[in-house]
Amino acid sequence: MKQRLLLVGGKSKTKSLAISLLAKGYQVTAINDTYEDCLELATIDKLCVIHGDGTKPFILEDADASSADIVIALTTKDEDNFVICELCKKRFHIKKTVALVSDPKKTDFFYKMGIDSVVCAISAITSIIEQQAFIDKMTTLVPVGEGRLQISEVPITGNAPVVGKKLWEMNLPNEVIIGCILRGEKTMVPRGDTRILAGDLIVLISSNGQELAAIKELTGR
Amino acid sequence: MKLFGMEKDIPDYTIIVGCGRLGAYLANSLSDKKGKVLVIDRNKEAFRKLSSSFGGMTVIGDAIDFDILHQAQIIKADAVVAVTNNDNINIMVAQIAHELFKVRMVIIRLYDPERECVYSESGIKTICPSLLSANEIFEIFSKKETQEEETDSVEEKE
Repeated sequence: MKQRLLLVGGKSKTKSLAISLLAKGYQVTAINDTYEDCLELATIDKLCVIHGDGTKPFILEDADASSADIVIALTTKDEDNFVICELCKKRFHIKKTVALVSDPKKTDFFYKMGIDSVVCAISAITSIIEQQAFIDKMTTLVPVGEGRLQISEVPITGNAPVVGKKLWEMNLPNEVIIGCILRGEKTMVPRGDTRILAGDLIVLISSNGQELAAIKELTGR
Repeated sequence: MKLFGMEKDIPDYTIIVGCGRLGAYLANSLSDKKGKVLVIDRNKEAFRKLSSSFGGMTVIGDAIDFDILHQAQIIKADAVVAVTNNDNINIMVAQIAHELFKVRMVIIRLYDPERECVYSESGIKTICPSLLSANEIFEIFSKKETQEEETDSVEEKE
């Protein structure tokens, strides 16, 4: 059976989310309390749109909330998203509730009250911006094993000392390996005789805090 | 008049969220009864509804913001009364007060009683103006009916 999703509130987020979910074959219903936004959402093919305040139980009933599998609350107000998810959980018994929250401090509270997934747009965006701002240096992608292992992304610029060198010619610390090289559209798992070129993006796997020494070796900084 | 151990019928420290007509009236009365009161409202203008003799505190800000609640010293509160004109804010404030800060008494006003199911098991007290008004109106109806019956019976006697 097709999974049924309910999107409550939000305009541009709902629009792009609805398009992408419909394309993946889900059945999607959107609830919005602004008539103009509803008209715009209604231009999306196969999207069911309901005009009304999604924090009101009878509107959720109109949207047949009890038959939905997932509800996503996307309004700009934290309190509205909170009530939408709580109503869906406790009254309509929807299995999975997802809430957008604008104040990062409320994330824990939302989880505590039983909301299954809480997305904080502000912390997500600031962390991406932070990554982008420092991308010329290094981006730590994932700390693994309580931070003992780091997977980092290192862009190689034209003036880096390793450009043109083969892997075995480089003097990398022992606890570091180059796991992957991203070159344009290609991803390659390098061997000892692979040459580093300018513009490569190197994925480093390093342990024991050796990543800074490795990055210095790779980029000269 | 009680001479010994004046029993207070009001909480020691009450936080009122929303300084509308109800919030301001409550705050004024509690302050008159010498209770410690703090009123939170996001609009500074709302506080002009407080009487000139109001002896409590005011905080300007969003009551669902934890910083504002800390500023209001919610941990010390004996009661939190959420009476903004937005049901969803009231529900969220009440849940925060009850679940996170373990406030003993939490009372909220809800315009839409259908939303009560969100927290029904959790011991938060709800006041619903439309239900109260309806009950009151029925009360008046029934009083009037008995009065009419009385006058009818008087007329019969005559």
